[in-house]
Amino acid sequence: MRDNGLPPELNESLNKAVRLEYWNIFWTLTIIVTMGLVLGQSETMKTAWVEDTLGLVPPIMFLIAAHMERRGTPSERFPYGFDRVNGLGFFVAAVALTAVGALLLYNAAIALARAEHATVGSIVILGQDIWLGWLMIAAQLYALVPPLIIGRKELPLAEQLNDKLLHTDALMNKANWLTGAAGLAGVIGLGLGWWWADSLAAALISLDVLNDGIKALRSSTAELVDGTPRALSSASLSEDALRLRDRLRQEFPDATVRLRETGRLIRAEVHDTLPPAEVRHPRHYWPGDKKRAWRVAQVSFIPPTEAEQSRLIPKATKQAAKR
Amino acid sequence: MKQLALIGLLLLLAGCDALPRDPADTSKRIESSRRFSVGLVDPDLRTDARLSALIRNIEQRTGARAEWRPGSGEALLTQLKAGELDLALGRLSRESPWTSEVALGPPLETSGSREEPIELKAAMRNGENRWIMTVERASRAISAEARAQ
Repeated sequence: MRDNGLPPELNESLNKAVRLEYWNIFWTLTIIVTMGLVLGQSETMKTAWVEDTLGLVPPIMFLIAAHMERRGTPSERFPYGFDRVNGLGFFVAAVALTAVGALLLYNAAIALARAEHATVGSIVILGQDIWLGWLMIAAQLYALVPPLIIGRKELPLAEQLNDKLLHTDALMNKANWLTGAAGLAGVIGLGLGWWWADSLAAALISLDVLNDGIKALRSSTAELVDGTPRALSSASLSEDALRLRDRLRQEFPDATVRLRETGRLIRAEVHDTLPPAEVRHPRHYWPGDKKRAWRVAQVSFIPPTEAEQSRLIPKATKQAAKR
Repeated sequence: MKQLALIGLLLLLAGCDALPRDPADTSKRIESSRRFSVGLVDPDLRTDARLSALIRNIEQRTGARAEWRPGSGEALLTQLKAGELDLALGRLSRESPWTSEVALGPPLETSGSREEPIELKAAMRNGENRWIMTVERASRAISAEARAQ
């Protein structure tokens, strides 16, 4: 078995996730077109539309990362393979979300401060003059449905694959009804003559985008600077990783244990100790469910310096002699 | 879910005429005072037949009478933006910076070159969506070009 790249038991789940993300892109595109047709001058609609368009970034990054992780064989130039492309993709998605969220919030705040009144006129459909707001409401209602279904399907796959990119996307999709409700309230409020409802709804939606972005940014930068593995859905430390650390500390009490994450895999370094005498696969150290043992891809031992060794080894032989 | 859709549909039918409303109540004021104020951005248009037809059509729809206001050009559009005028009529370039400052109705007639068309149209205060819709309907009723938009 290779110690880099995708663990073979994840092949099927990854295939499912890839198929799901193609569907995700397809449905998101239909939403972008539908919403784009009825945008008008409404700040709410523009913000919701940009949010929907941004929704394309995580699935696209996921597909690129999945492709490289599976097809990209380690080479002289990339000896470790491409399992960290997912982390890079996660970072790109996080930067996009944060930047656009901040920009949208700024626009909405300016529109509120200037007391801008959004004009939403009428169009003729089958000889009837129809207020464009009704079409906006219909488009918003349509935009509610696909993300709910896709988010629900993404979540278990993201957990199986321990995929942060997919997990973030799933949570964003599941929370989509909140922004959808804000969007609907914005357009209905606008129709009722409350000019501020439009910008206020836009501000709420952009706050949500910004919040998603900052959460993802914290988690993805932690991975890129070799922080201890983070939990899937938050910036706190992963419980799996903490258990693995405790397991290693138990066996090597004097050692310094360092864990980091490359994509979905955990890599451990055990410093200032000699490796155990028998040869063990990294999965040997996995403390929990053996089905998830693929998470540990590497356990390396870094022995102390020679001077320290001479101090340690007599102690070890003495201990052995005692037994 | 089915019930929700049904309720939504009923609301939609009932609400079709209830929305939109005007943030500054232009339509209500016009209805109760039976007057609306109009200005010509371009004074040469005083005798334009299309504009007279448009004004007559709006008068019929609202049951209110047009009151002509003096002034022209940007001064008039500035009054419109500030809510001191209900309607301004004139020829505006499609690229005019006023496109975002005021709400423009569909073009009644287009002249000028193809690259930079000049459109004869009505301008309303931004956001007064019910009043804007009334003028849009009137524009479509009197001009085939507006209907085609």
